[in-house]
Amino acid sequence: MKVALAQIAPRLGDIDRNLEIHLEFIEKARREKADLIVFPELSLTGYTLKDLAGDVALDPRTDPRFKKILERTKGLSVVLGFMEESAADKGLFYNAAAFLTGGKILHVHRKVYLPTNGLFEEAKFFAQGRDFRVFPTPFGRAGLMICRDFLHYGASYVLFAGGADMIIVISAAPGRGVARGDGFETSRMWELMGETVSYFSTAFVFYVNRVGIEDGVSFAGGSFIYSPAGHLLARAAYLDPEFLVHRLDFTAVREARTKWLFKRDEKPDVILRSLERVVRVPED
Amino acid sequence: MSFSGPWKESFVSLKIDPPFVDKVLTRFIREELNKHGFKKGILGLSGGLDSAVCACLAARALGPRNVLGLIMPYGDSFSADVRDAEKWGHFLGIRTQTIDIAPQVDAYFAAQPTQSRILRGNKMARERMSILYDYSAREKALILGTSNKTELLIGYGTIHGDMASGVNPLGDLYKTQVRELARYLGVPASILRKAPTAGLWSGQTDEQELGLTYSEIDEILENLVEKRRTLPDIVKDGFKPSIVRRIALMIRNSEFKRKLPPIAKLSTRSVGHDFLYPYDWGK
Repeated sequence: MKVALAQIAPRLGDIDRNLEIHLEFIEKARREKADLIVFPELSLTGYTLKDLAGDVALDPRTDPRFKKILERTKGLSVVLGFMEESAADKGLFYNAAAFLTGGKILHVHRKVYLPTNGLFEEAKFFAQGRDFRVFPTPFGRAGLMICRDFLHYGASYVLFAGGADMIIVISAAPGRGVARGDGFETSRMWELMGETVSYFSTAFVFYVNRVGIEDGVSFAGGSFIYSPAGHLLARAAYLDPEFLVHRLDFTAVREARTKWLFKRDEKPDVILRSLERVVRVPED
Repeated sequence: MSFSGPWKESFVSLKIDPPFVDKVLTRFIREELNKHGFKKGILGLSGGLDSAVCACLAARALGPRNVLGLIMPYGDSFSADVRDAEKWGHFLGIRTQTIDIAPQVDAYFAAQPTQSRILRGNKMARERMSILYDYSAREKALILGTSNKTELLIGYGTIHGDMASGVNPLGDLYKTQVRELARYLGVPASILRKAPTAGLWSGQTDEQELGLTYSEIDEILENLVEKRRTLPDIVKDGFKPSIVRRIALMIRNSEFKRKLPPIAKLSTRSVGHDFLYPYDWGK
């Protein structure tokens, strides 16, 4: 299987332009004979939306612009980020990721952890998702996460326990801290989690971060792929746009799981019971 | 289906209750100045509506003797406005001082000539700003801004010129609302009825330059901003699509005038990004 990571810089608040970028990269991925292309968080809209959130929100089931992307997913799966406002939830704007294949929406994940501190204002403008779910795809079981979701390791655990062969993280992570060398200090945080989650979940981790600058904030880039054995298979440039295509062998999942038996020996029932107690404690 | 009575949506949000707005704004001026250690306020008096209203609010909030109105004409090209400003200042009992900006403006353009009225107008606005800041320090008086919400939204002002101030009591009132407040405050007809002008050049009026009346602009702004309605929705009400689009574009293209310039983020604690304290920090 071939996966393409589109480390792009979307234009803020301009869906039409971003749609063009998506179609262009989807064509590029097709020419490279990729099976899956992954775009970053809010790839269709840009990140620092503030009050633009409602203006760029769309319903992926009916929106004609979204349909243009869906139409190009025959034989090529696409993961992208957008602002979702569904017919059932008018006025609620979700930071969402969708997995598309064969002209169909396989799954929509709504970001659960909305950073709202320091330079982040997501919960001020976005509604909060409430679920992590594993779903079947043409090349194995996948789980989706959006940026900050990935830094809460319980979310990865749910996808691991749910049987994910690949964890796909789309991100718009700003870089902070410049004492480290060729990249922002915060890039290390994502790589550390990528290595850890891939190794202990014996699953692929695809992390696609954006680049470009919005209102003075530089997005760090550095998208990566970790193997189910915790090896860094590929990493895109920090700061600069890149189109990274990498061939993967899904037998690596089986190999990792026969070497390290974390998956076989996992006890979600015990974890669930213990968690239930943790959640109940304040009421005891 | 027809709507009538006080709940007809389109007439609700631009209505203000002038006595209550007066109450809020005089308290705002008094409290903001006190917090930051000022007894006195200073503002540019153009002879137009916004500065007339602001001067009146300041006089009521701080006492007339604590307000200094600087009248800063370019030569004698706006003599009727100067007279209106002087008369209103006198009526309010505030201190006024007239400074002709022609010498400093002419000195600059003698060295850097231009035919552009816009360049000249912007330069004049910034000369007035620099005089206001100088007098602010001389007098220990905080600068009261006079940019109204209409101007702020469509970006009809000179950045670091007339848009510069210490605090702005008028920034959330549309031009038509400022006019309503002015009537309540007793601003004389000579100022009330005058065609609004940015004073960029003699004979210039805002409405002529914008090609729209303030009431037209405010009605469209009300739909776009207050009601967050979409362009196609507004056009359905009978507004001309090209005009609505133009105003939406003016809002979008002037955001830079309403913000501090972006700071390139490098560290984990950057001014404006995640070093965030209230304006009234510790006051």
